[in-house]
Amino acid sequence: MSTVLILAPVIVSSWPAIAVAAAGAASALGFTVKQTVQDALQENEVEEQEQSVEVELADSEVLAQNLATDQQMVLTKGGVQITVGRDARGRCKVCATGKGHSKVELEQMAQQFTEKLTQCFIYDRVVRELKTKNFQVVNEEVMQDESVRIHVRRWVD
Amino acid sequence: MAQHEVEISISKSGEVKVHVKNVKGKACLEYAQWLTDVVGKVKDKQLTSEYYEPEVKARIDLHQDLRVEDDSA
Repeated sequence: MSTVLILAPVIVSSWPAIAVAAAGAASALGFTVKQTVQDALQENEVEEQEQSVEVELADSEVLAQNLATDQQMVLTKGGVQITVGRDARGRCKVCATGKGHSKVELEQMAQQFTEKLTQCFIYDRVVRELKTKNFQVVNEEVMQDESVRIHVRRWVD
Repeated sequence: MAQHEVEISISKSGEVKVHVKNVKGKACLEYAQWLTDVVGKVKDKQLTSEYYEPEVKARIDLHQDLRVEDDSA
């Protein structure tokens, strides 16, 4: 053994990379991507009794140069709608909305989605960086606790 | 050539545990810094005994004995 590090994730990236991670998280949690944000907004206006909860990714920053103000991703599953976007301070935010769900339930869903998004984002980033350093993947598996284990190696002079 | 191994575990909340193996000395720190830059910030760090071992340098010593045989004997 040499070193054991525990690292806390920080998401600082442009919108496309975050959108990819959000799509990955959506797929893993059974959400589907809605076609346009406008569709979702119109539906929201009609359904006024919906509850809404917003969760912010504390250590995150969406680099603004690639993100228009209306750029966000809307995902649906059953009666729940999750919107991923950027708040005024540049942080990534996840908003869960749904009829027939309590605020606590929606907060739990938003939190779960946020965690999955973070995991997908970090996974993509780590795997990409490992390739640039010429590491070969020896083994990769998803554990029972939903963590992803990647074992890599490379030969050096 | 040396074989460097890294075991990475990404928890469901995105926290990352990195275990750098078979890497000694300064190179170990370089891996740690690189992975920190990729993921975010260090929450905990443990240096193991191997970190303090000197880096392996391969060296081959060649010896050649020259001997002149006397055919007249």
